[in-house]
Amino acid sequence: MDKGLQKFLRTNQRQAAPVSIDIPLISNQEVWLNIALIKQYHENMPRGEAEHVAINALQRLGLGDIAFKRNPDLTNEERFCAMLIRASMVRDALVVIDRPFKIIPHLKDVDYIFQALKKIEDFYSSCHIYDYEWVAEKYGALCQ
Amino acid sequence: MTILENIGRLTITLMKSFAETISFAGKVLYRIFQPSTYNSATRTVLVNQIYFTSVQILPLFITASVIFGSLLIGIVFQLLKDLGLTQFIGNVLMGLIVTELSPFFTVLLITLRSGSAINAEMAVMKVNKEIKTLETFHIDVINYLLVPRIINGIISLVLLSTLFSIVLMSSGILFSRIIFGMNIDVYSNILLNSANFSDIVIALVKCACFGFFITLIPIHFGLRASHELTSIPIVVSRGMVSVFTAILIIEVLSLITKLI
Repeated sequence: MDKGLQKFLRTNQRQAAPVSIDIPLISNQEVWLNIALIKQYHENMPRGEAEHVAINALQRLGLGDIAFKRNPDLTNEERFCAMLIRASMVRDALVVIDRPFKIIPHLKDVDYIFQALKKIEDFYSSCHIYDYEWVAEKYGALCQ
Repeated sequence: MTILENIGRLTITLMKSFAETISFAGKVLYRIFQPSTYNSATRTVLVNQIYFTSVQILPLFITASVIFGSLLIGIVFQLLKDLGLTQFIGNVLMGLIVTELSPFFTVLLITLRSGSAINAEMAVMKVNKEIKTLETFHIDVINYLLVPRIINGIISLVLLSTLFSIVLMSSGILFSRIIFGMNIDVYSNILLNSANFSDIVIALVKCACFGFFITLIPIHFGLRASHELTSIPIVVSRGMVSVFTAILIIEVLSLITKLI
């Protein structure tokens, strides 16, 4: 993980919500449990309610069918979205996406990521993306 | 000199490992009694763990208890009859089979099934960086992963050991009728008269200790895995050897307590 990103996580300890290949989903739990865990642990939200929140969030991205799947059964896109929703469950989340093209290597540009972020924009306070300079062209006008 | 050095080094390593495990046990025990440890997430894990350890195993456990328990009771009763020790049937049932054999049989079965699974699960989580995931999201590993599994170990051991004792005593009804021609009232009276409160308390405490250590040690060793896949079999094998050592130590301590 990049030093800048580590510093960001340290300075925004409570709100920092990373999406990174180095912070994987818990593989022996279903996707909805990975997402609900944040609400259950930090807000003591009852299991049923947390399940509802998690499944609703997945449905917003059109991924309601992956709620009961586990990490190894997901495609790269599904895995990214599950990690993104998990991160957005943090209260007043400052979502930090660490090298998104490492999570979905075959993406040509960031459109897919931005579309996903747009669909759940009310879940988080802000979003930051960290990536290598040499993939700047994939971000198009954003990096000019 | 080299032999002495090796013995010394081995002793120091063993003592260090023992001290580490005890200190870890103290830390976990403290958390178990902290109300702040418990939240919706830990309760979910606890319910799932109880289901995996105590409910999923029931068909296998009951089948094994009925087959093994019935045969054992049959042989013990036949032996008592042949030796002319019929009057000690209650003492043998309560003092040996219920308070000694049931916890031992149960702990072996649960260790083989769940202890090894927990050990591997923790090691895989460590290797896959899933422990780091929990830490990143400020989820306390002891509260979330350890406490529910250890409480489950204690509950499961006590309940399954009790179930094994019930199966054995039920088999006893049948065999006491076949071998001694004893009716159910006489059999129940003999059992009640032989039941010693302190023995039952020792048996329950022993079950709780077994439950605590057969989950704590595999977790402790599992979390020692490095980030390499090859470390998984090493920590699993070390963990399981340590669990069996702990079982023997607890068994010996309980026997000493009974003797005193």
